[in-house]
Amino acid sequence: MTPWGVIKTIIFGGSTLVFFFILWFYNPFKHVEHYEVDEEVKEIIENPWKKVDEKSGKTIADEGRELFIQRCAGCHSLRYDGIYVAPVQADPRWKKVEQAAGRPVYRFGVLYKDRFFVPRDVYEAFAHEVLESFKSSFGQVPPDLSTIYLARGEGYLYRFILNPNEILPGTSMPPVFAGPSAKEETAKVVAYLKSVNTPPPQEQTKRAIMGVAVILYFVIFGALFWRYREVVLRRLGYH
Amino acid sequence: MGLIQRIIDWIDERAHVRELYKSLMIDYKVPKNLTFPYVFGVFALVTFVIQIVSGMVLLLYYKPSIADAFDSATYTIMGEIPFGWLFRHIHATGANFFMAIIYLHMFTGIYYNAYKKPRELVWIVGWLIYLVLILTALSGYLLPWGQLSYWGFIVTTEIPGSLADAPIFKDFFKAIAETIVLWMKGGYVVTDITLGRVFGSHVLIYPLLLLALVGVHLYLVRAAGISNPDGIEYDKKKHPDKFVPFHPYMTLKEGAYTMWYLAIFFFFVFFHISHFLPPDNFEPANPLKTPAHIAPEWYLLAFYEVFRSIPSKFWGFVAFSALLLFLLILPVLDWSPLKSARRRPLFFVAFLAFMYGSMALTILGSMEPTPLNAKLGMIFGAVVFGFFLSLPIISFIEYGWYKAKGGKEQ
Repeated sequence: MTPWGVIKTIIFGGSTLVFFFILWFYNPFKHVEHYEVDEEVKEIIENPWKKVDEKSGKTIADEGRELFIQRCAGCHSLRYDGIYVAPVQADPRWKKVEQAAGRPVYRFGVLYKDRFFVPRDVYEAFAHEVLESFKSSFGQVPPDLSTIYLARGEGYLYRFILNPNEILPGTSMPPVFAGPSAKEETAKVVAYLKSVNTPPPQEQTKRAIMGVAVILYFVIFGALFWRYREVVLRRLGYH
Repeated sequence: MGLIQRIIDWIDERAHVRELYKSLMIDYKVPKNLTFPYVFGVFALVTFVIQIVSGMVLLLYYKPSIADAFDSATYTIMGEIPFGWLFRHIHATGANFFMAIIYLHMFTGIYYNAYKKPRELVWIVGWLIYLVLILTALSGYLLPWGQLSYWGFIVTTEIPGSLADAPIFKDFFKAIAETIVLWMKGGYVVTDITLGRVFGSHVLIYPLLLLALVGVHLYLVRAAGISNPDGIEYDKKKHPDKFVPFHPYMTLKEGAYTMWYLAIFFFFVFFHISHFLPPDNFEPANPLKTPAHIAPEWYLLAFYEVFRSIPSKFWGFVAFSALLLFLLILPVLDWSPLKSARRRPLFFVAFLAFMYGSMALTILGSMEPTPLNAKLGMIFGAVVFGFFLSLPIISFIEYGWYKAKGGKEQ
């Protein structure tokens, strides 16, 4: 390549790479709010699948689920894990609807026989009066929290649950955890929300191994192709 | 003679595939000096195949109704179906890569002036592919039914509505604007019917159109011959040393590049998906709650920035459409027979301005709308417009130099 060719390659290749780096990796010109989890409870959210009790095999996520049912499910449903707002859950007819219109929750290769995923329209039709009463008292229907972890991230959720009015002034959500264990309990609920939306560690490892294998396959085969081409071209007399 | 050989012979006797293979792959000659950017066409083709295959898998589980769309994408495909996540990741990555590769392909075409005689038709069909691709991307964007999907769709369908702000013939433009908006949305509000229409177009109508157009595009490239980075049309008979057989010379080279391209592609699929499945879209669509900042996807941000930096909505829309039209009539704007930026110093400088102008517009489009942003948007918009509008003059000057140096008619 001529020196001018090298310069052009650097100009065009370089600016293309920088451009896509800004778009697809890190955009310094775009303002993004950042929320931090408190240092002392970071570990809880880090691994929701960690066992807290060896005997029963209970995990942090299980504890978070219990807390969620106690403190959050009064207003919020979490349909992807078979949790519906308390007045609906308490209705004896709901069990039948679950059996008829729903299917057991199946997620990342694990079947939960006692939790049911019910289509949104069926649930909302059944819970219509309950949801309307929420709407008239809170101004809006408290959202379903199935995917809130993916949408907001752990930092935002942790700060928001701990002190809703600080993050979103004027919100009708009350602070539900108070007292000395508030931070820990909040972290457990966030960990639970994470466990619903993130594949467990062994599944993550499986995916990572698969990814590395696929990438290596293409890199190596590309190199072999290139080598083979040189041999063929020499035989044909092009080099 | 092995069994496979006999089967191939049997087919060949009836279908003459060997002859076809020889004429398409070996007797087909391409210039020897093709540079790296010429590979983007192959990348685009590979990505198109990836999109079709991964789309077929997603189609098996996706449900096009407002009640089920979000759950089928986020719960069924991402959690319940084994490897559903993989196909969704591939489809999302493929969509972004497809647009990126198409842009690189277009910029390559502009740089080497591949739109000039005898390749005008290749360029025009390519432009049509680009338009259909944008429609495919926009329609596919609505399907996951998240907040971004919904509001992105609303904003996009409202853009033609800005025709109603016309300074003259108000009633006339208003009627046109309303018709277009109604036609895009399939009603005054976004309902199940809209989602059904968008779904149908995304999975059937646009892909079929694309397949047909890509077929024509490829045929035209072969009919007219691949352009040369030198910008000189060599005669295949007079200069056989300037040409090489497509197979194995090009196929093995492009095969190796394609493998490495796929390695990068799958890095994004497995390890860096957050930019292609953005967090905001994991919130179900809520028509009552408008998000703070709505912007289209990155591949439309340059047009969007031009649109929003112009104070009048009507003129913003006109500028937006003019940019698309300028792309179509490039062969007319750049009229001189001189080809390739390698031989055209003025065009080279103009191309740099155009490239950096569009990059700057895209990045400005991703930022919050401030007065400074609008001012910069106007400046870079002027640069991009300046590129297109100066092409006839650049052509004139450069052709003059060429003649003065004693260049022959081409």
